[in-house]
Amino acid sequence: MTANAREKILLYILIAIVLIVFMTPIYLIVVSSLKPSALMFSRPPTFIFTPTLQHYYDLFTMRPFHLQILNSLIVALGSTAFSLVVGSLAAYAISRIKSRWINDVSFWILSMRMFPPIAVVVPYYIIFKSIGLLDTPLALIIVYSTFNIPLTVWLMKGFFDEVPEALEEAAQVDGHGVIATFWYVTLPLTAPGLAVAAVFCFIFSWNEFLFALMLTGSKAQTVTIAVMSFWSSDAVQWGRIMAGSFVVLIPGVIFVLTCQRWLVKGLTMGSVKG
Amino acid sequence: MNHTVSRDRRIALVFLLPAVVILFVTTIYPMLYALWLSFRSYDLSKPFIPRVFVGVANYVEVLSSQAFLHALLTTFKLMAMTLSVQVVLGVGIALLVTQKLPGMAVVRTLLLIPMMISPVIVGLVWLFLYFPELGYLNYFLSLVGIGPVAWITSTGWALTAIAIADIWQWTPFFMMGTAAALQSLSPEPYEAARIDGNSRFDVFRYITLPQLKPVIISLLFLRAIDAFKIYDIIFVLTKGGPADATEVISLYIYRQSFTFWRMGVGAAASFVSLIIITILITFFFKSLQRSQAALAR
Repeated sequence: MTANAREKILLYILIAIVLIVFMTPIYLIVVSSLKPSALMFSRPPTFIFTPTLQHYYDLFTMRPFHLQILNSLIVALGSTAFSLVVGSLAAYAISRIKSRWINDVSFWILSMRMFPPIAVVVPYYIIFKSIGLLDTPLALIIVYSTFNIPLTVWLMKGFFDEVPEALEEAAQVDGHGVIATFWYVTLPLTAPGLAVAAVFCFIFSWNEFLFALMLTGSKAQTVTIAVMSFWSSDAVQWGRIMAGSFVVLIPGVIFVLTCQRWLVKGLTMGSVKG
Repeated sequence: MNHTVSRDRRIALVFLLPAVVILFVTTIYPMLYALWLSFRSYDLSKPFIPRVFVGVANYVEVLSSQAFLHALLTTFKLMAMTLSVQVVLGVGIALLVTQKLPGMAVVRTLLLIPMMISPVIVGLVWLFLYFPELGYLNYFLSLVGIGPVAWITSTGWALTAIAIADIWQWTPFFMMGTAAALQSLSPEPYEAARIDGNSRFDVFRYITLPQLKPVIISLLFLRAIDAFKIYDIIFVLTKGGPADATEVISLYIYRQSFTFWRMGVGAAASFVSLIIITILITFFFKSLQRSQAALAR
């Protein structure tokens, strides 16, 4: 065996170990959600069994999981739509304005994304309580937009930077105003960016936990809170927890598998050229 | 020139103003409210008692309380544990998966999944693994003669247990960032080094690492900002316990505000943490400018 071949085998062994470590929890979620409760903690673990959909069935019959999915969808889609409109407008301004002060505005908007949620949850709680928005999807749409708007601004600025300004000038020479040019010329060219920003906003809203925990009660409860509540309820039903967890992790996994190349851009905030 | 300035103004007014106004109302206003609240005594469970101005009493209490300082220390301890392991593992794995071998693109993609999973779900699946008596982690450790470890029920192990879950979720972040940076490095110095007959470790130490450094530093600050805010995983695994072994800043604020209903004290602690996070954010932007300057070279 050549040194090179031995090296390759070693590499693949190391990679296999890494994969096993990082994939086991995900494997556990999937498998446990299909495992009969009696086998859940068997020693040694049961690898081959007849899968059951009982836990998924329980999610929707013993619990109103469909309503919680609906809540999460309303909140995530609402916040995504709102953030895309407001965020991409602002991103366009930041991309096109040449004055120096725009950098400060841009940093200010970006830093809004990084502040600790726990620091504002008390004010939100009191404010929403006093205006009657506690336990409504609208409250979460507003709160999530404070995180999603900066993210959209950050992502979309990069896309707007790449649209040649000569193209816009040509449209303006033809008599289109700034807004018409933006709407008919620039925005269509950045459609992929809008899609990426939308998916990011959706997943962050879908996955969020702290605000949903504090600002919703029984009516506007989202999926993450619902799954958590399976744990705190009287008998710990691991099958149901795992079935719920699987439903919650679907959007994120689809995102990773379909557009992983955008993850670098969306998560590293410019630390790495994506 | 004049034309540009008036065009800038018009764009700012139409395009930028909505975002600025909305962010101001939804973020700055609650923060100012928290600031106002931090100088008041306010018990949310007794809403009819007026919110009395108490001066800096809340701040004095927070900054001199053992519990707050302990929470601050625990936060930084957890940050040190997770970031150090994540950066070393992440860079190591990045070096593995950027080798030109078949199947590496698939491996890179799969390893990104943990980051996109809701932290609550991460907490729950690790709870499943750590679970006293039943969890599979101790079972597998017992097969190799280790254990049993009281992961989440002993004060000695609980913070480590949380760190492991966080390391599992965020090592891919450093892997992803480093892999992207590695792939954008220019190949020339490597060819020169190979011709000179340098060992592979030397090449990494003297050529790769210096080029990666600015990127890794910004990634570290970005993760530090997130690590400072950690909440969900701890809420699921230990709720800050046993005793106060895993009570980080967020949990402390949560407990003051929603267990003891002392909103003023919670708000004061929030403000102290806002100041710390602002410092971290400033460092991040500084390091970002440096790394972008380095990349542009």
